[in-house]
Amino acid sequence: MGSPMEMNGGSVIAMTGKDCVAIASDLRLGQQAVGLSADFEKVFPINNQLYVGLPGFATDTYTLREHLRFRVNMYRMKEEREITPKTFAHLLSSTLYEKRFGPYFIEPVIAGIPAPSAIDPDPKPFICNMDTIGCITTPKDFVVAGTATDKLYGVAEGLWEPDLEPEDLFETISQTLLAAVDRDCISGWGAVVHVITKDKIITRHLKGRMD
Amino acid sequence: MTECSFGITGKDFVLLASDQSAGRSIIKMKSDENKIRQLSPSLCMAYGGEPGDTENFVDFVERNLRLYQIRHNIELAPAPASAYIRRILAEAIRSRRPYVVSLLLGGYDKIKDESHLYWMDPYGTKVKVPYTANGLGIYVALSTMDKYWYPDITREEAGQLLKRCIDEVKLRLAYQFSFNAVEIDKDGVREYKLDGSA
Amino acid sequence: MSVKDPITGGSGIGFDFSNHARNQHLGARMGGLPKATSTGTTIVGVKFGGGDSGVEEGVCLGADTRATGGPIVADKNCEKIHYIADHIRCCGAGTAADTEFVTNLISSNIELHALSTGRKPQVVTAMTMLKQYLFQYQGHVGAYLVIGGVDNTGSHLFTVAAHGSTDKLPYVTMGSGSMAAMAVFESSFKEHMTRQEAIDLVARAIRSGVFNDLGSGSNVDVCIIKKDKTEMLRNYEMPNERGEKTRQYKFRRGTTAWTKEDVRSLVVSETTTPVAAPLAAEAMDIS
Repeated sequence: MGSPMEMNGGSVIAMTGKDCVAIASDLRLGQQAVGLSADFEKVFPINNQLYVGLPGFATDTYTLREHLRFRVNMYRMKEEREITPKTFAHLLSSTLYEKRFGPYFIEPVIAGIPAPSAIDPDPKPFICNMDTIGCITTPKDFVVAGTATDKLYGVAEGLWEPDLEPEDLFETISQTLLAAVDRDCISGWGAVVHVITKDKIITRHLKGRMD
Repeated sequence: MTECSFGITGKDFVLLASDQSAGRSIIKMKSDENKIRQLSPSLCMAYGGEPGDTENFVDFVERNLRLYQIRHNIELAPAPASAYIRRILAEAIRSRRPYVVSLLLGGYDKIKDESHLYWMDPYGTKVKVPYTANGLGIYVALSTMDKYWYPDITREEAGQLLKRCIDEVKLRLAYQFSFNAVEIDKDGVREYKLDGSA
Repeated sequence: MSVKDPITGGSGIGFDFSNHARNQHLGARMGGLPKATSTGTTIVGVKFGGGDSGVEEGVCLGADTRATGGPIVADKNCEKIHYIADHIRCCGAGTAADTEFVTNLISSNIELHALSTGRKPQVVTAMTMLKQYLFQYQGHVGAYLVIGGVDNTGSHLFTVAAHGSTDKLPYVTMGSGSMAAMAVFESSFKEHMTRQEAIDLVARAIRSGVFNDLGSGSNVDVCIIKKDKTEMLRNYEMPNERGEKTRQYKFRRGTTAWTKEDVRSLVVSETTTPVAAPLAAEAMDIS
């Protein structure tokens, strides 16, 4: 049998554009090779302009989502403000590193646009990803995670270009994801894309191969 | 593990079916064991796994849901009940002696007027599905369900679909199962007669 | 969090082993747990100046910028020279998360130490904190470090390995590219170099790792620490720039077929209906 990371399948990708970010995932949940659901979301909203993707071992996706909801709600009540993407990334990173010697089998992806503040009136779009023990990487172009990681890196490296408008970013991230998961047996079965801009969030369910 | 169960939802009902065999490895000790438990007035669980664990686990869940109902004078709806059950599994898997139990949870939410069906494994993986199978059933019956299920499926059609799945099990699996089933809707839980054999 | 959560644990300090039993269970069932992501790396440090040379003594640190996860390049331009204090820096190799967190932890403790003693912390202090912490974890915290800095006792350069052993040398290398880099040092190191000679040597050593070790790559980061000045030369050399794409690879809008759309607008719109101004007689008494 395979490792927990390959037990349920699933992949997530996030990309930056011009004043926008996009995060997308497939919708499959399986038990090894058997597909059980084509409606299992792995990307969750944290607040209006911040999304997190939690691909990996599905039970940990759920446990970690519950835990993050609790921590972010506590943050909101104590601080009386919304958590910024960067702060959230460090919150999640510490949560994962705390379990350095008994990790969650999740490779998170974060995408968001920070709200303008006095210190940073014109914030840049934010993306990052982590390994299972919370090591953050923050590239300027795209981040990927999940069972189709290798393929996503390859396709994204070829298709991504800087300063894409939201609608162009939607096409690029969608085509990248669809191309990659079509070459992964345990990812696919539909996909969902969120494009986050300063004033709206567009969520679209894609038409993809169902094999 | 030689076990097999099915769940099918329609707009206003859920069908749960389970095999009735009890035994160890290839030996069948009993073929009329009921492995579907009613947990609250409109919630049922079809369970499988390690024999001792299953009974203990289901008893624990049933009594805690009953306690909730007595305390709050309202039954726990399927969605929160599923979250509660998942959590028991997820906590147990982190202990020295986990519950090795997998299950299908079917229920009817009387407040929202929705049918619910959940698939769970011993790790605490939970997924909401319109129709599913557990145990050996996933290998032979999921494709049958894919073909015949649709969102507005009627009770009669769901019954026929269940029959098809059971026929498939009889045709394709070497192991001989007998089945029982329940029907859950706004009026509660009833035994569902699987006509003919089973 | 005051109540300890049985799953997510973590109210306390230090590591949380609540998933450990489960993961052992999973490992036994599924044959081997996945290996933690490791970083192939070239990190180096040299001392320069001092002696009778008349050159102000200092330390020069260098690192490549590739982070790997197995055979995949996870980050093409990461930062491996970590901040410990204004006058102490630390290059990290090994398990990426461990180097990140261990240097952050020691940086915090050094700051607290500086505050409680009222003195500028010494490099040996940071090195001792690191080695004691790493020894405690018997090599399970996989951080391999090059630590350098200048304090009131002079310039210092150390390596710290994951089991807690340390070396004090005039030139050091670590990581998977350490042999490639050490070859450069062994052939070209000389004592009492000038600042620029040291930078050139360090950059050459890192380049040697970048081009000869598969685990190292991309750019060269350099850091020069002198008595009252620390310069962080991020991406000092960029010998692996990607060529400009000659064509655009945009998809025509509408290429991707979708089945369902949901647009959530974050703009709060409101219509204001002007109300007639209050009569003068009804104005509030504000005298």
